Amino acid sequence: CSDDILEENPRSVFTPEFFQTEAGVEGGITALYTHLRFLYGAWNYYNSTETGTDEYTWAQSADGNFKDMDLSGVGSIISTSAPPAGPWFSCFGAINTASGIIENAEAVGIAESLVAEARFFRGFDYFLLVQTYGGVPLDLGSGELAFNTSTFRGSVRNTVPEVYTKAILPDLQRAVQDLPEQPRLTGTVTKNTARLYLAKAYLTYAWWLQNPNNIPTYPEAPRQDPDGRDAAYYFQQAYNVATTAIDNPGPYSLLEYFYDVHWAPNDRHAEMMLYADHTEESEIYNGASLGFGISGAQDNASVWMATWNYTQIRSADGVAVVQREAAQSYGRPWTRMAPPIGVFKNTFADKENDSRYDGTFVTSYRNNRDKLSPPDFTEYPNANNIPVGPGEAVLTFLDQDDPAIDYSGNKASIGAGSLAGRSDFVINPGGISRVVYPGLWKLGTYRTDNNGGLGSPNAGLTRPFPIAKFSEFYFIAAEAAVKGAATQGGKTARDLINVIRARAGKWRFDNGEQEVRMEDNSATLVNNTPNPITIDFILQERSREYFGEGYRWYDLVRTQKWAEVAATYSIAGSAYGDHTPQTFTRTIEPYHYLRPVPQGQLDAMDVSDAEKDTYQNPGY
Amino acid sequence: QSTITGTVTDGTGPIPGANVIVKGTNNGAVTDFDGNYTLNNVPGDAILVFSFVGYEAKEVPVNNRSQVNAVLENDLQSLSEVVVIGYGTQNKESVTGSVVSLDGESLEEVQVANFQQALQGRAPGVQITTTSTRPGANNASIRIRGVRSLSGSNDPLIVLNGIPFSGGINDISINDIESLDILKDASATAIYGSRGANGVILITTKTGKKGQKATFSYNTYYAAKEVFAKYPMMNGPQFLALREATGITRDGVPIYQNLGADEDPNVNTDWQDLIYGTGLQTNHDFSVSGGTENGSYSFGGGYFKETSVLPVEDFQRYSLRVQVDQQIGAFRFGLNSIMNWNVTNAAGTGLYGNLSATPILDPYNEDGSLKRVVSMPADDFWVTTRSTLEAIGDGRVNLQKDFGTYNNLYGEVSIPGIDGLKYRLNIGLNLRTSRDGFFNGQGVANIDPLSPNNAGNSSSLFQDYVVENLLTYDKTFADKHKVNIVGLYSFQNSKFEDSFLNARNIPNEDFLFYNLDAALLEDITGYGSNYGENGLKSVMGRAIYQYDNRYLLTATVRADGSSRLAPGNKWVTYPAISLGWNIANEKFMEDVEWVNSLKLRAGYGETSNQAVNNYATLGNLGIRNYNFGETFATGYFVNELPNATLGWEFSETYNYGIDFGLFNNRLSGTVEYYLTKTNDILYRVGLPSTSGVGSFVGNIGATENKGVEVALNATILDNPDGFTWDFGVNLYTNRNEITSLASGQDRNEGQLWFVGSPINVIYDFKNIGLWNEDDPDFQYLQTYEPGGNVGMIKVEYTGEFNEDGSPVRQINADDRQIIDPTPDFQGGFNTRLAYKNFDFNMVGVFQSGGTLVSTLYSSGGYLNLLTGRRNNIDVDYWTPTNTDAKYPVPGGIQAGDGPKYGTTMGYFDGSFLKVRAMTLGYNFESNLIEQAGLQSLRLYATVQNPFVLFSPYHKESGMDPETNSGSDGAGNAQNSATGTAGYISRGIATIGTNVPTTRNFLLGLNLKF
Repeated sequence: CSDDILEENPRSVFTPEFFQTEAGVEGGITALYTHLRFLYGAWNYYNSTETGTDEYTWAQSADGNFKDMDLSGVGSIISTSAPPAGPWFSCFGAINTASGIIENAEAVGIAESLVAEARFFRGFDYFLLVQTYGGVPLDLGSGELAFNTSTFRGSVRNTVPEVYTKAILPDLQRAVQDLPEQPRLTGTVTKNTARLYLAKAYLTYAWWLQNPNNIPTYPEAPRQDPDGRDAAYYFQQAYNVATTAIDNPGPYSLLEYFYDVHWAPNDRHAEMMLYADHTEESEIYNGASLGFGISGAQDNASVWMATWNYTQIRSADGVAVVQREAAQSYGRPWTRMAPPIGVFKNTFADKENDSRYDGTFVTSYRNNRDKLSPPDFTEYPNANNIPVGPGEAVLTFLDQDDPAIDYSGNKASIGAGSLAGRSDFVINPGGISRVVYPGLWKLGTYRTDNNGGLGSPNAGLTRPFPIAKFSEFYFIAAEAAVKGAATQGGKTARDLINVIRARAGKWRFDNGEQEVRMEDNSATLVNNTPNPITIDFILQERSREYFGEGYRWYDLVRTQKWAEVAATYSIAGSAYGDHTPQTFTRTIEPYHYLRPVPQGQLDAMDVSDAEKDTYQNPGY
Repeated sequence: QSTITGTVTDGTGPIPGANVIVKGTNNGAVTDFDGNYTLNNVPGDAILVFSFVGYEAKEVPVNNRSQVNAVLENDLQSLSEVVVIGYGTQNKESVTGSVVSLDGESLEEVQVANFQQALQGRAPGVQITTTSTRPGANNASIRIRGVRSLSGSNDPLIVLNGIPFSGGINDISINDIESLDILKDASATAIYGSRGANGVILITTKTGKKGQKATFSYNTYYAAKEVFAKYPMMNGPQFLALREATGITRDGVPIYQNLGADEDPNVNTDWQDLIYGTGLQTNHDFSVSGGTENGSYSFGGGYFKETSVLPVEDFQRYSLRVQVDQQIGAFRFGLNSIMNWNVTNAAGTGLYGNLSATPILDPYNEDGSLKRVVSMPADDFWVTTRSTLEAIGDGRVNLQKDFGTYNNLYGEVSIPGIDGLKYRLNIGLNLRTSRDGFFNGQGVANIDPLSPNNAGNSSSLFQDYVVENLLTYDKTFADKHKVNIVGLYSFQNSKFEDSFLNARNIPNEDFLFYNLDAALLEDITGYGSNYGENGLKSVMGRAIYQYDNRYLLTATVRADGSSRLAPGNKWVTYPAISLGWNIANEKFMEDVEWVNSLKLRAGYGETSNQAVNNYATLGNLGIRNYNFGETFATGYFVNELPNATLGWEFSETYNYGIDFGLFNNRLSGTVEYYLTKTNDILYRVGLPSTSGVGSFVGNIGATENKGVEVALNATILDNPDGFTWDFGVNLYTNRNEITSLASGQDRNEGQLWFVGSPINVIYDFKNIGLWNEDDPDFQYLQTYEPGGNVGMIKVEYTGEFNEDGSPVRQINADDRQIIDPTPDFQGGFNTRLAYKNFDFNMVGVFQSGGTLVSTLYSSGGYLNLLTGRRNNIDVDYWTPTNTDAKYPVPGGIQAGDGPKYGTTMGYFDGSFLKVRAMTLGYNFESNLIEQAGLQSLRLYATVQNPFVLFSPYHKESGMDPETNSGSDGAGNAQNSATGTAGYISRGIATIGTNVPTTRNFLLGLNLKF
């Protein structure tokens, strides 16, 4: 017998050598797209981007993760808090994979356009990290921006300007240069996707250099650009890159109606530039169960957090008339996050002209017992004992407060109100509480396999989770312009924002009423745009456009407006029937503008306690 | 020369099957049923030698008589005289390593599905932990003298009839076992090299004896199993009070203010009553064995069945056993073969859903039928009861079938010309194949009646061969110098392969999982296949030398080469040596009559451990799939770095022991002390996130185990005509400690490894009660706990204080503390009381101290959320009028869905004493049964798990304090309600919502003819 039995010939596991083949490199790029799912659609990361801003606070069933993020005296953010840890745990692996692709590509002979996808993601991930935590390491163990093959267990953080000037900006610049105009596959990145992130990185870095509200950074670094440029230079770059993209849209365009941007049958449309994709066609490639989600790693479960428990609604005779359904207005309710009243009174004050309120929220909950098995077509007595049949509204959130509302008698079992003559129960916008509030329609559940029934509402969503849209070029350019960038003809800040507002004025369908509504209020909205516009107005406009999509915390941190915009909020309590708003104050300290380095990182590092202490962001 | 007849008895009755031989010749005979023998051609001056296993041999001169009777005496020492030590046997008196021997009979005292469970509490230093209570599950972990490896296997090597055993835990019937020997120290295990690093368990199955008259035996029992204790869930009024109490910290508004659609405050459903039933356990086995002058044989078969107290879960085993041994001149050939066929039915849905259903849910429709789904405020529950599960029939199937065959073929030849030299060839051929299929009909056991059906089928094949070439030389020189030398060259190879396919929307539900290809391609939800192979080559030499049965020496050298390690580091050689001194055999002890035996032993040995998975040196890519719209693609990323320097893990063991037998051997025992130092530990090192790679496998760190083991056996009463009373007890402690970690680091919090603490620890906050308004530091509550409330769990703060006594910071990760869960000592006892034909046995196990983890009580299990969302364990919680409660105020500050620091609610004092079995037996008088043609007949009744004492956990919960859940090989918790990652080492078994412990009532019969 020879030594053969002591030799290993793996036949069913991939070893890292495979990464040096063409198929391996392409697989590496695929893994970069997959990693988006661990953040975009993940419930806790979503929580960290929204809760504690003016868009969301904790809701009735919130667990500690949501209360902690609210900073309103019901919890606190510390190094073991799970919600802000997502990017730290997900991005470095992607960065290393990207570096591996970049290093191996040359040897294997991979097209530059493909390598550029890896460069895009390395820039993308570093950009996300630097916005979340401040400076992060460029050397993962084998040298700066090198593919890490060492077993080194220490880590040294670079400063914010180093991360921008060595990693984010060069990678994204090169990606703009090398990426194709048209996507390689559905949803892959293009020249303009890279431009969007490059423009946003310029803009964010410019704000950082300027530091108008004196927010601390870490590791400490002077607000100076290593390349000797100033904030104005980078604001101008942001403007230039964004307007170049607007002038050369490639395959992208603004859709005609805001409603269509989030109407699920329309997913993966021309305005959507980047998303974490999912599919209901294959559980294997969806990466998560198609039957019952566990809000696990790849589950697209964000919207469950913002969905209140509408299944508690009862008809006047106690029947559960609104069933859990795999449909865009319904889905799985977790009641973890609620929008405070300011969203309805201030951000979306104009619900009549601006189609975006109607295209963002679920404002009517309807009898869907016809989808039961066997179907139930009974009309059940509803408000004022008027019967309500399948498809008819059981509960409506009113556009404006109606003082005539009668909240007595725990109506619909959820403490709803009624108005004389109306068959639907109603709630005033001023009476929104932590337990009953409009759902988030734009991110809602959608399946095509319900077969006329209620479908599988408990699975993670099979829709792509939106990450970046063409519309944001207008916002980036406008923000840069407000910050002093020289503008081109016809592209002042107000011009750019008005493109967005004009589109918002166009209706084709009324989501709340569930009926066709052909209407064009563009002129009204454009006329109502203030002149000149301010950062505050841009922030409000961003909230109207991107409400609940995970932009908010980053927008408020970039502009250093978080403590100001989110300082207080009002909402009624957690009890059904509580419609009395209370005002809550948040304690947002300057150090909160950086999230803590997760304890898991510190625990895994092989360094002294003192070094761990200096590794952590101050305040945590 | 004449013919001689006679009877052999033991003083009370005849001994059938005893050997009678004319000394110095081959002329012999065997006694019949009545102990009679006939021997021809016996010279008048001959000496007859009478012998029988378990009795002292007796020599009787014929003196020209024609009738020679003999009375043989019980050989007390010989009861455990022969010890299997691997590649041979030894007299117990001569053993120098640490070996514990158990006979089959004592294992059978607790009738269970597998020998691991039967071993519990029987051997000092051998810790058996139950990790699952499901029938047919891989449900026990064995740790011999603690854990050594951080991430490698800590399982001992099991050797079945001389061949390393690679089968399933349930593949060997305990009723087939003749004896079981456990090698504990390195000098004893050295012959098995790297595979024996975690101890060795040698199992010898029943065999025929040379010259034995053919006998038939049949054993059977039936047992009824009842739930030992229900999980202590709240009843309706208690639960309503809990929901109400969640309003205490919320201005009187309960968290779940509205009832769920099927909840009714007037209902009080005990969901557990709706699901539990009586389980069954039964066993039948028979065997025929016998022998001739030059050979022996034995064959038998068995059937074992166990059903759960939960519906549609059972396990069945059919086993076959064949043993043949034949001498032909200088040659000897033999075969030992064990085969089994297991069928595991696991179509149940587990107990968690049942426990979590609130007691105010009404399971019935108005017409008295059961509802399909009931709704709580936040969760729906598919009504899981005995009748709904049993009604499913073919709608839900989960059947695993395993076939295993374990064979040892051997040939032996005495080499002519050199007296005592033999060559032996062992060929071990093992094969195990499994098929696991499941099917779930549309909407079955699912809250959605339209949820698509799904099914899957997986199969695996494990094949393994060992070839051992052995040279042995066994000779005694000048009566006093006894030499035994063994040389071994062996090689072995194991291959594993499996494949699986899962699909949904099977068009015809009658297909179950047998026609998965009927599903559409897009309905395939998973598929895969795996392959693994490893090899090991070894060269070993062992010499045993005894001088005058007083001075003993065993020396071993072994070299192993493993495929799993990196080139250049594949081979390693290591020695072991042990010494013994039989003081009792010294001249100066001749007059000390109360000492029958006294031996001192000392041993030192090195062993190594290839405790890494196949291909671990090569690194690994992880796989992540993705869809680009409708285009599907597979992605790869590096999740494990290669390590070209990966080498062996080493242990050095020092073992000191004393064996004694006193007062005519009525008190005997062993005391041992050992120290094991393990270096170059192999483990998968988790890298920080900033490495961009998950881990690598390296040789890093060192651990140490030391402990004391005591075993005592006493014959307290010894009256063959009246009472006899035997009592045995064993006690042991093991102190495990990590002595160093990579590059001088003193802690690795990510992996829960701390220098100076055991490998398995709890790393959590220290629960010191609840926050109360009269606490002196209550004024700082909001500093310690921003957003905190009175009645929340109070944990120890380890930070600094300001001058005014206020803390400088809030409670954070720095306040986590290491909790050592190691018991002070553990052990077991057994006692036997006999009076005439009656006997009474009791077997028990105990533990003092240590920490028990119950995930029922920790918030991670979701049954102690104290929010009223699901049913809750009935606990004593804080209210304004019950401020010295143990559990926090319902609805207070949360971490996740449960109370903040809710994990700390799951720790209990682990002390307990548990009687595992009490048996009352009756042996029928031989003269009565002889008329029926029988040799022996015994009836017995046993109650298993009758009671538990001295257990704080039992006192609070009423439940069994032994664990019922653990981690699988990949470290994943087997119990959905466990959730202990990050603060409890995965080696710590827990009590979760598994099948509850049962109390079993058993009636059995053994007969022989």
